[in-house]
Amino acid sequence: MQGNSSRRGSVAGLPAGSGSALPALLLVGLFFIVPVVALLLRSVTDPEPGLQNYAALFGSGTYVRVFLNTFLVASVVTAVTILVAFPVAWMLAIMPPALGSIVFGIIILSMWTNLLTRTYAWMVLLQRTGVINRALMGLGIIHEPLPLINNLAGVTIGMVYIMLPFMILPLVGTLRAIDPMTLRAAALCGASPFAAFRRILLPLSLPGVAAGGLMVFVMSLGYFVTPALLGGTSNMMLAEMIAQTVQSLLNWGLGSAAAFVLLVVTMALYAIQLRLVGARRTGGGI
Amino acid sequence: MLLDYDRLGWLRVALVGFTAAVAAFLLLPVVFIVLLSFGSSRWLAFPPPGWTLKWYQQLLADPTWIDAALTSARIAAMAAILAVVIGLFASFSLVRGEFRGRQVLRGLLLMPMVLPVVVFAIAIYAFFLRIGLAGTTVGFVIAHTILALPFAIIPITAALEGFDKSIEDAAIVCGASPLQARLRITLPSIRIGIFSAAIFSFLASWDEVVVAIFMASPTLQTLPVKIWGSLRADLSPVVAAASSLLVGLTLCLMIVTALLRRKLST
Repeated sequence: MQGNSSRRGSVAGLPAGSGSALPALLLVGLFFIVPVVALLLRSVTDPEPGLQNYAALFGSGTYVRVFLNTFLVASVVTAVTILVAFPVAWMLAIMPPALGSIVFGIIILSMWTNLLTRTYAWMVLLQRTGVINRALMGLGIIHEPLPLINNLAGVTIGMVYIMLPFMILPLVGTLRAIDPMTLRAAALCGASPFAAFRRILLPLSLPGVAAGGLMVFVMSLGYFVTPALLGGTSNMMLAEMIAQTVQSLLNWGLGSAAAFVLLVVTMALYAIQLRLVGARRTGGGI
Repeated sequence: MLLDYDRLGWLRVALVGFTAAVAAFLLLPVVFIVLLSFGSSRWLAFPPPGWTLKWYQQLLADPTWIDAALTSARIAAMAAILAVVIGLFASFSLVRGEFRGRQVLRGLLLMPMVLPVVVFAIAIYAFFLRIGLAGTTVGFVIAHTILALPFAIIPITAALEGFDKSIEDAAIVCGASPLQARLRITLPSIRIGIFSAAIFSFLASWDEVVVAIFMASPTLQTLPVKIWGSLRADLSPVVAAASSLLVGLTLCLMIVTALLRRKLST
């Protein structure tokens, strides 16, 4: 595979073939690594050296509640996303292509539509006087408008909507890779559809579910826009708190400390995810 | 028989029904926003009492919306070009380089996609405040190029991995210089990867909200920042009109992508 030309391109003193990565490395090093490290240093030096920012973060009921709420929302969103995505991915894996491509088209359209546009649509749809409440009242299912926005329900609907493509698309790949013969064999041996699902289809697709679920969980943990617009003040999430602490309160020390906590948790979960899918296949549906 | 579409029996009815419901759920906000933008109700009543184009007229008559859209397009175009060029060079090294730490380098270059954007946003904002790039076009382009880089590297490395390098070597044996061989043999072969990279990096910048909220100044704001501001103030139907135009743009982009892919792959 490796020919001579890749060596010819090497710059003196650099390992073979690494030279052309230099611009990217410089860019990421200077404008990504340096600022992030500087921010983390700020969490232990601003306003004075010490761990007071972390003490404030973990000592205050308000901030601890933000942490807990962030994990709660991310867990609920992940669970709902998996439950909704699995049957859809299952059908997409085996549907006739003509039918499947319509569903794929809709998934791509929703995924590529501007994030704020989608969130704005949900803000209007879920309002007290919005279409959903009116439709439910018109059908006689409810008599009072349901509180669907500025609470956990609103955040969950909005986030599940955004996360679904990230779960469905990789899962289709996992399900397509399962040999249908294994299930035919189970049926021939007398397994009921339920038993075949529980003992064969589900275990075989579990690595894909776990990898996708973890990705959705990690993305949800650090999400800013949707919780800020559809969530309430009583269930603020970590990303919004970080932005607010820095932007409105100008408390850079505390904001940096919270950012560091988010970074550590995200990176730890990401490392687990890499183990699950193997370093090669990162990047989800692209 | 769970993976045989024709033999699912009653289960198929249930699962197809569920899939159709989810597809409707995914389509609902997109269709809704387009319908809403033509509705005459200032208070976003739906179904609207009448139909109108006045929100589009207001939108197009407002120079701040036009400015924001042009700013977004300019920044996204520059970020996409930079990300694709820098990503292309990096991809050669990531796919063909023979050095230790290649996987580490790959992980490092893809990290901006994994790190929560809000962390990067306040980090780069603080950094740019210090060196005087906050609120400038250059600052915007640099930050968005970093966020777009993984979206350029992933499709290009994938295309490069699928390209048989011996074809390039054959060209060199036949007398082409390594540069000629890469420009005239390798690049045209991986053009679908490069094309996807361009689309994804453009969208990564065009849709980016979080960094933009921090980076924006009163004189320099992108379209998402403008929408964000309007959403926090009130739910004006003008935002619905702007959003519908964005949906139209997405549709155009999807169609162009599908057509170009078909054309490029033949």
